[in-house]
Amino acid sequence: MSLERFLESGGVPGKGDLTQEDLAKLFRKYRGLQKKHERDQAFWSATNENLRIAYEKLDEKERELAGTYAIIRDDLAVASRIQEALLPQVSEKMAAELEVAVYHKQLTEVGGDYYDFFSTCSGNYALGVFDISGHGVSAALVMTYLKAQFMTVLEQHDSPRVIVDWINNVSYEFLKTVKKYATVNFVVVDPEALRYVSGGGFGLLVSGSYNTTFEKRDSFLGLRRRAFHEYELPFREGDLLALYTDGIPEAQNEQGEDYSVRRLNELIISNAKRPVREILDHCLADYMGFRSKDSDDITLLIVRKKA
Amino acid sequence: MARGKKTSDLKVFGATLQGFAQACINLNIVAGAKAENLLGEIEITGWYAFEKLREIEGVVLQAYENSAPILERVGMEMMLGWYNFGPGKEIIKRGVDFLHFQTGSQGYASVVKGPEELVGSFNLEFLDDKGGRARIISTTPFNKDLERGVIIGGMSAPGDLDFVDVKNDEDPQVFQIEFA
Repeated sequence: MSLERFLESGGVPGKGDLTQEDLAKLFRKYRGLQKKHERDQAFWSATNENLRIAYEKLDEKERELAGTYAIIRDDLAVASRIQEALLPQVSEKMAAELEVAVYHKQLTEVGGDYYDFFSTCSGNYALGVFDISGHGVSAALVMTYLKAQFMTVLEQHDSPRVIVDWINNVSYEFLKTVKKYATVNFVVVDPEALRYVSGGGFGLLVSGSYNTTFEKRDSFLGLRRRAFHEYELPFREGDLLALYTDGIPEAQNEQGEDYSVRRLNELIISNAKRPVREILDHCLADYMGFRSKDSDDITLLIVRKKA
Repeated sequence: MARGKKTSDLKVFGATLQGFAQACINLNIVAGAKAENLLGEIEITGWYAFEKLREIEGVVLQAYENSAPILERVGMEMMLGWYNFGPGKEIIKRGVDFLHFQTGSQGYASVVKGPEELVGSFNLEFLDDKGGRARIISTTPFNKDLERGVIIGGMSAPGDLDFVDVKNDEDPQVFQIEFA
């Protein structure tokens, strides 16, 4: 039997079964395998060593990353507290005239939904709800910028159109540069009426048996250099005003259906006689039962004119 | 380096460069986007500045503390590709043909061009076919561990040899070859 046959069959050759030539070939094959083994061992040893070094580097990077993450987390916690502190409180004077309930939740530590209460130069209350494009720190920075602008202009004007126009004009280049814009619902509350500007966002007025949703003909802040329009609606004792961003109506359930503006408005209208806090809680319970998860910042502000 | 000659005058054939890059990818030395970048820029029939090859070599040298066995394996892998998917089968039928192919540096000359002083040579200086010994002298700018792998891979690719060993530890430019 030849050497190849023995190798194929796996049989062990007996004494005298192999020729001298077979033995020489076996020897060469053995040396070849030995060399191959040496080379393989050197290759895998270098590879293994490289893996060890890679793991060490990975560990080091993970530690660096954890340190950096901790700094970012701490910074975000501070930023979150600052942003919360920038949100308004209902003053005693305001609480005497308006019943106010608000739900505000940022998707991340800081965010781009923003609401505020002001007084105009004429002493009227002004309410604003804004949704700055994007989320996170950049949106929060724009929020502080807008707040500062509103505080400045409200010392000089009372008209929502003039105020929002002014803000849009002075902010346009800046917002364009930072590639941001913001929806705006800005309302000035007069003794018998409310005047508003609406560029995006949602507004609903429930006045007795009449319900009015806000006109939305204007564009967002920072999107165009175009004059805003001002609208006026009666706002008397017992009337209810709701201002909100798209966080609730555009949230989806497991089936991918939107919660919708219609559903929220109907809920507010059907509960309009209840205290604003109860209306708000009712809306939130319904929303939370519907949505699969929050996917945006949320602001819902409900205000009733007191007697 | 020869006076007045720039290393940028030295060019390497695209197929060689691609073979080198592909070998690194096959051995998982580079992966992902880095691998795509390596291959994406190379045209098989083009000629590239030798620095490009140095760049890829740098990937191995940076990644491995002991790069010699890795570059040797890359050289072997390159020649497997050359034999199985390139022109290798047309050029050599037996392991020893690979040595003949290096006579007068002809094999090497087909993949590197430029000023003679920079190109160098990869030349079969001695061959004892029956005794299973040979010697190649290399003055090329290629990494010598890689070249050792190229010789082992080139000679082993046809599969007719039971044993191939290449040593250049005494003088990196002199490859002492044993085969049977």
